[in-house]
Amino acid sequence: MNVDEFVKAFGERFPEAEIRVSENKMPHPKRRVWVEIDREKFHDAMKFIKELDPKAQFSIIIGMDAGDRLLAKYHMEMFWEEGESLSLVIGTSVPKDDPKLPTVTDVFPSALPYERENQEFLGLFFEGIPDPRRLFLPDDFPEGIYPLRLDETGIKPEMVKNAGHPYKIKKEGSK
Amino acid sequence: MNGKLEYWVKIPIGPIHPALEEPEKFIITLDGERIINVDVKLGYNLRGLEWIAMRRNYIQILYLAERICGICSFSHNHTYSRAVEEMAGIEVPERAEYIRVIIGELERIHSHLLNLGVVGHTIGYDTTLHLSWLARERVMDILEAIGGNRVNYSINTIGGVRRDLEEKHIRAILDMIENYRNEVMPKIEEIFLYDPTVEARLRDAGVIPKRIAIEYSAQGPTARGSGVKKDVRYNEKLSVYPDLGVKPITPKEFTGVVKGDVFDRMVVRVGELWQSMELIERAIDQMPEGKIKAVPKDNTLLFQLKKAEGEGIGRYEAPRGELIHYVMAQKGKDVPAKWKMREPTFPNLFAIARALVGEQVADVPVAIASIDPCLSCTDRVAVVDANTGRKKVLTERDLLRLSIEKTRELNPNVRAKPEVVGVGCPRGGVL
Repeated sequence: MNVDEFVKAFGERFPEAEIRVSENKMPHPKRRVWVEIDREKFHDAMKFIKELDPKAQFSIIIGMDAGDRLLAKYHMEMFWEEGESLSLVIGTSVPKDDPKLPTVTDVFPSALPYERENQEFLGLFFEGIPDPRRLFLPDDFPEGIYPLRLDETGIKPEMVKNAGHPYKIKKEGSK
Repeated sequence: MNGKLEYWVKIPIGPIHPALEEPEKFIITLDGERIINVDVKLGYNLRGLEWIAMRRNYIQILYLAERICGICSFSHNHTYSRAVEEMAGIEVPERAEYIRVIIGELERIHSHLLNLGVVGHTIGYDTTLHLSWLARERVMDILEAIGGNRVNYSINTIGGVRRDLEEKHIRAILDMIENYRNEVMPKIEEIFLYDPTVEARLRDAGVIPKRIAIEYSAQGPTARGSGVKKDVRYNEKLSVYPDLGVKPITPKEFTGVVKGDVFDRMVVRVGELWQSMELIERAIDQMPEGKIKAVPKDNTLLFQLKKAEGEGIGRYEAPRGELIHYVMAQKGKDVPAKWKMREPTFPNLFAIARALVGEQVADVPVAIASIDPCLSCTDRVAVVDANTGRKKVLTERDLLRLSIEKTRELNPNVRAKPEVVGVGCPRGGVL
């Protein structure tokens, strides 16, 4: 399946999705498909991708803070067995006061570490994630602090415990 | 609670070791000698690069990207440039693309030679380590002559390369390839393709079946060793690689079978060494004359990027697998709104963690080394019995000794002493 066939098939199944095809001017031109879709249809879209190509490979979740919304973009590599593969970026966005997305680990099991990463760094939560533990941040990192959010002010001094440091941290005013 | 539970033992391997470029921790649960569960914990060397990049401009991020990894420093730099070029629509001159191919393949040669040596070391064949790391010096010298540094050579920039290849560099590269063909590669092939002990030790260790490799998105030699014909240079029609005739290499072309074990991954690496040398020779033949930079001055480039809008993705086949960088522009600012990258070791770690289930603990060092995060030099291991609280600390030397003893068991004629020395970490007068 080439880019045009994919765009046609995807557009017929999800008419409300925004589909854009970009082309870069490398010595060998390469086309990339960018899709924007609502959160409600997102899980269905991922399932549809798996139906189109059962061997589609999941590469990365790019989560970012865009003011009042959180964006999540998923990169897929499809039809890699047919020589030139189809590179697809499928994105969705959620409001910041309700940052929840359906998990795609039932469709692409390799998405789990990326979902765990976004949960702890961006506060973008995935409903139904099988393993919600932290992956990068330490287990005693304060709850409710998301380092990659733009409005994050950081860890407050009273949250800092004596985190295994050999010397005790002196309280203010004490000698 | 059944009676069997008391044999379960949890072993944390890692996280800190000076020879690791990415500290990571594997928590292994054992039932006797068999591994029944593997858990991975990351983030011990989290440097917050994405956060740092929020206040760096496009040119400054080039140098930040290069410092993600010292071994594939060109790859990160190159992939980031590709993402920015796609975002801003910058056309790279053809000569620059050829130079990028040559540097990239030189880097692949040095990375694969390093890994072959490390795997040889983990099974107790230190001769392999000395042979391949000695050969690697020659590539490093050439990279130093071209870029000025042994690592972090900063040769790449947005829209081209910084330095041109001169006649003397090309002569040195061709000399090196001839030397490798005649002297180094026959020895390496003899060790990794035809030695019965190495085959007995590496066969059926850390097996990743093709289905698991696809399901867990394994990348690079890890995936190709399992028979997944996937290579970004080929799938993405990257740069000028289609003109050079690049094809994904699987062990089938060398040994006729694909099992997805450590041996197959090493066969892929040996094959890619041959392939890289061919690619360099063809690139040198076909390289045209011309400009090497799309925008000669950095100030002009920054001004042009300030006006850019949109987003771009750069992909490249680093020595370990597919590398992805994503850049989103912010109109009117020379700082990107978002820069995000993913290294190939990240998915490979989870694939190998899945594959280790059911293996022996003696195979852990070589299986983890085979995906190339150099975890074979694990610093210390604490064996804690979950029920009795009995604790025993195994150092790197103990773990390697276990591995070497297994080699000697398989072939009693190996004359190497079971004394082991850590890679790149002399301590306490051992050396």
